[in-house]
Amino acid sequence: MNGRPEQFSAEPNELLVERLRDGLGLTGTKVGCDTGQCGTCVVRLDGRSVKSCLILTASAAGSRVTTIEGVTERGGELTGLQEALRQEHGTQCGFCTPGMVMALGELVENTADREAPTEPEIREWLTGNLCRCTGYHSVVRGVQRACSAARAEIPEEISEGAAVTASAASAASASASASGKEV
Amino acid sequence: MTAVTGEVPLQGSGLLGQPLDAREDPQLLRGEAKYVADIDLPGTAHMAILGSPVAHAKILSIETKAAEQMPGVLKVATAADFTDVMPLPCIWIPGGVESHFPPHPYGLPGARPVLTGDAVRHVGDPIAVVVAETPRQAAAALAAIAVEYEPLPVVTRADDALAEGAPQLHEAVPGNLNAYWTCGDKDRTEAALAEAEVTVELDLVNQRTINSPIEPRGAVGDYNAATDEYTLYASTQGPHNHRFLLAALVLGIPFNKLRVIAPTVGGSFGTKGYLYPDMALVLLLSKALRRPVKWVDTRTGLMNSTVQGRDHRQHVVLAGTRDGRMTGLWATSYANLGAYPSTIGPGVATALMGRSISGMYDIPAAFCEVYAAFTNTVSLGAQRGSGRAEAAFLMERLVDRYASEIGMDPAAVRRMNLVPKEKFPYDNGLGWTYDSGDYQLNFDKAMELSGYADMPARKAEARTRGKRLGVGLATYVAICGVGPSTRMSKEGMLGGTWESANIRVHPTGEVTVTVGSASTGQSHHTVFAQVAADELGIDPALVQVYEGDTLKAPYGQGTYGSRSYSMAAPAVALTARKIKAKLVKAGAVFLGVPEEKVVYAGGKVYEEGNEENTKTFAELAMAMWYGWGLPHEIEPAIDETTHFDPPDFNYPFGTHVAVVEVDELTGETEVVAYTAVDDAGNIGNPKIVLGQIEGSITHGLGQALMEAAVYDEQGLLVSSDLTKYALPRAADVPFFTLDKTTTPSPHNPLGAKGAGEIATVPPAAAVVNAVVDALSDLGVQHIDMPLTPEKVWRRLRGEAE
Repeated sequence: MNGRPEQFSAEPNELLVERLRDGLGLTGTKVGCDTGQCGTCVVRLDGRSVKSCLILTASAAGSRVTTIEGVTERGGELTGLQEALRQEHGTQCGFCTPGMVMALGELVENTADREAPTEPEIREWLTGNLCRCTGYHSVVRGVQRACSAARAEIPEEISEGAAVTASAASAASASASASGKEV
Repeated sequence: MTAVTGEVPLQGSGLLGQPLDAREDPQLLRGEAKYVADIDLPGTAHMAILGSPVAHAKILSIETKAAEQMPGVLKVATAADFTDVMPLPCIWIPGGVESHFPPHPYGLPGARPVLTGDAVRHVGDPIAVVVAETPRQAAAALAAIAVEYEPLPVVTRADDALAEGAPQLHEAVPGNLNAYWTCGDKDRTEAALAEAEVTVELDLVNQRTINSPIEPRGAVGDYNAATDEYTLYASTQGPHNHRFLLAALVLGIPFNKLRVIAPTVGGSFGTKGYLYPDMALVLLLSKALRRPVKWVDTRTGLMNSTVQGRDHRQHVVLAGTRDGRMTGLWATSYANLGAYPSTIGPGVATALMGRSISGMYDIPAAFCEVYAAFTNTVSLGAQRGSGRAEAAFLMERLVDRYASEIGMDPAAVRRMNLVPKEKFPYDNGLGWTYDSGDYQLNFDKAMELSGYADMPARKAEARTRGKRLGVGLATYVAICGVGPSTRMSKEGMLGGTWESANIRVHPTGEVTVTVGSASTGQSHHTVFAQVAADELGIDPALVQVYEGDTLKAPYGQGTYGSRSYSMAAPAVALTARKIKAKLVKAGAVFLGVPEEKVVYAGGKVYEEGNEENTKTFAELAMAMWYGWGLPHEIEPAIDETTHFDPPDFNYPFGTHVAVVEVDELTGETEVVAYTAVDDAGNIGNPKIVLGQIEGSITHGLGQALMEAAVYDEQGLLVSSDLTKYALPRAADVPFFTLDKTTTPSPHNPLGAKGAGEIATVPPAAAVVNAVVDALSDLGVQHIDMPLTPEKVWRRLRGEAE
């Protein structure tokens, strides 16, 4: 869990989001609907973004779970994706934001070794995350900014699927997040 | 109170208008902001609410014993437990108050009790609550409460509710009619319609929609028995208002014993300004149990309890000449208030819509009548652009219908009828007096930016791809800056609508700004700091903003109707001006020169003509803190407050152009281009406003294309979760082409007009106009929203609505 081992027993029907919020106090992960539609509860499970309201805690046993709290230090420096979203004001009320950061982080990472994702690709990737404030425009611009910054600044040797974050600010912070926070 | 009239020159350091980054963003991006569901007080118990499963029934009995025996259950309560609690008041009664002393709104007809005991009137109507050790235990115990119902007939449409023999919701409201409300000149309009060369008519359904903030509502009540004080944490857009409503009108407790705190609020769009039973219940139960009581809604719960929007059925008529001059406008509307009058729902359904129906047009005769009725649906309230969006929809659909009837270009008809610049301030004959505007400039800019002249060629090109391209225009005026308290009283608002700010300068030169308003995502901390820093000529990093806590913040009414920047920000600016005036007086002492020789500029005072003789802001702050040498008439310290009540509303406006492509095979509508030119007066932070404009347009597109609250014949809300209620997703919208014009409002010292929700007002009309344009050669003159692929596909095949 965010790079630390966690041991506990869970009820068979306990949802991962309940464990995160109520059991572990990781309230950055939000609950916005009851049906897996809104994406505010997205976390990374072994690097893949998943909706933690649709996953039983028990089924996550043995996996690496990264929540928004595992992306940056409290009050610490933002990742490249977060910084790009900040510059584009890709947030308003912020309730959908942690889920978006988690989901979009995977997109930015997965496309780091090829041409930047296109606008339709970004919009399609965002389909699992609802935002009522921004209409998504500033979020899409933020991802575009993050991707172009990543391509301008990140050396080639970024390892596939390794980094938790957008990896944009620097190779150093990307590898730090890969080695230090996620495992 | 400070009233501002006429021309007030802008002052400041030039910081306003700059796209400062939102200082709220880092903590939001790191997931560190605390929303109400994240609040975890020691010893908290959890509340769940039993909502009615049926839309209309008498309650014969409620059996709670089994639930009381369930694991972890601490308390089960029904209406019988709260007989001394007043019903939730409605404070916007259409019709108005001709008095300085408002009537006490206790016991208004149809007012909602905290729990219903006699009957249920909509699915989700709260009947009982359980408090337990955990949320799961509370939810489980709800199932053990046995309620016996005697079913009653159901009505879900306003026009049906007013018909002879309709099911009756409230004994005190025979015929279900809450209000019959009119504005404008009926006789003149009747004459205009009778004498017109051309009249066109439409029957419109402005469908009910669900606001859907992504954060559901929630509340935590914390009663302190030692001090007999209550604290309510709630996802509210108006903590002071909620204190007023709860303390004075519902609980009957001293005002100074209730503290309301709005933590970070995850969007509202109108819905979180309302008073809901849960807010009172967590406080009452916390007192009963001597423990904090927390309630967090589910999405389905939200959809069955939080106020919904729009919902008018209308017959509208436009009269004009053969050559395109509009001469008369008539609107008859049946508004669905739902089962109970919400806090301000009846006013939204009447005045907010009716007085706006003529939009940007100079129409000599206009009249609007609204029948506001109770039905077995969730209560009606505000929704982003409320009232004004409904008005723009009817007007802009009518203009297109009229243009088609007389064979003129819809843009030409619109342009010909815009209120001319020289007519401002402009009395629209429906009760509003528009403050300022250059509608021609705004309209022309939108036409040019959208490439309107090239549309015929684009239509022809699209047809070669199996697509029908349509272009739709919509203009609007959005009354904002609610508002002038006396003016609002004449609309029937039972409450002041002013806004306030306090600025405290600390001895080391930092500044704390507190405002009565409360953000639901509008970056208040950034913008109010910007306003204060601009006026005081200091670095905005020195300014910290606090809001959302009734104990700390000065009074204010909250964030609604796009009023933060045109109501609360002016209060900040005026307070800063008081401080400057004080520092000029004190500066005369410190600089040793007469007051008229003292200049305040650039964050310091200095002697006119001798800038060497100066004191910086930080030096002044420290000197004022010590107060040494100040003459008796100058108080030490720098701590000023302003209550701002403007002389009138402000009236943003704009022109939007939607370009859609309708797929001939599937009926799918894609918005391929969208151009908006809005005028929100002087803008404080364009980065913040840009985000609000983009979000607002997307919201409006949602109503046009996919959103609808659907009730079945039994009154069940079919679209009761996000698998059945469609919200726009990222792939549903393109980037927009946006620009602005700027006509400052004379009604506040910043020249500001509302901005946050204004761009929600025209998109529904623009998109429907565009789709009707795309299908016009098939004889299609109107399609009701939402324009689902199936609906459009049927029209493509020649089927009638």
